[in-house]
Amino acid sequence: MPVRFLRNASEIADVSWETPLPVQVANAKPVPADTLLVATTTVDTTANRDLLGSTSTELPTLDGCMQYRKLVWFYFRASADATNYRVLARATDHNGAPLGTGWQEIVPATTLPGGANTHNRIDIPASSDGYYDQYRIEVQRTAGSNYNLISKIVGVR
Amino acid sequence: MSAERITRREMLKRLVIAPVGAAVLTTLEVRQASAATMQPYYAPYFVAVLWEGRTRCDSLWRSLKGDVVPVLPTVQGTTPYDRLYWTGYALGSAPVNVAMRVWARAVDHNGVPLGSGWRAIGQAAIQTPPLRWFRVEIPEGHWDEYRIEVRSAIPRLVYSRVIASQGYWKE
Repeated sequence: MPVRFLRNASEIADVSWETPLPVQVANAKPVPADTLLVATTTVDTTANRDLLGSTSTELPTLDGCMQYRKLVWFYFRASADATNYRVLARATDHNGAPLGTGWQEIVPATTLPGGANTHNRIDIPASSDGYYDQYRIEVQRTAGSNYNLISKIVGVR
Repeated sequence: MSAERITRREMLKRLVIAPVGAAVLTTLEVRQASAATMQPYYAPYFVAVLWEGRTRCDSLWRSLKGDVVPVLPTVQGTTPYDRLYWTGYALGSAPVNVAMRVWARAVDHNGVPLGSGWRAIGQAAIQTPPLRWFRVEIPEGHWDEYRIEVRSAIPRLVYSRVIASQGYWKE
């Protein structure tokens, strides 16, 4: 039985490619998701290394993120060797300068989930909303050998 | 496309609500779908139809598109959507017992998957009387590609569509 809908108040139409279901929310626009970063990181034992490979602790991994309610971090890890990650965040002023030195640690050092050669996902923040201007995502291996971590971060409004 | 003009009185006489069936839940929630088929709006989210068609289910895990090639996605370009729905019904007069599972992965700027394989999102069993609508909600959104596979011990033809919804904000 085809799916039908009422069109123009008196006409029943079949749903098809030519007459799709009318989906509309008045005075609203859709919430897009933006790809913010795609990077490959060599995960080693160096502390404070972010996804872009930088150990400069004042540099953000992502900037201009105020409009995003949350970030979704997709990653594919080539090894299951024990790894920690942590997420830092902060706000900036109108000029893009941080309000102060340092960061707010929104995720402390935590075991990076997933086995070898698996796709995984972490929501940042895991609950509540983000809206920070800058994020710094650090990874550090605590056992085993270096491996590649391929990441993609999507910002969701 | 077919359309016909009728009066409101005639419309009320001819209004048909599809019979509703229950489904067994495993990790994905399966819901009754009859009311949704007659609603013109899926408020409050924007909704897109990603795929619609018929799938011949058999004892192999097949994508909704019919292939058994594990690397091929069922739907792509799904990054903006925060949840997906699979809704449809199985043709035939026998009770329905169709297993389904959902995989997902992310891709880079060139559309190449970040790595091999998929991430398992969940699975469900569609167990209804014959000719009942079902709906499965896939709550984990924003992956770039999904592969939705089905399997049935008794060959069945399933007519279904994959719908994705986006959040929205008021202007």
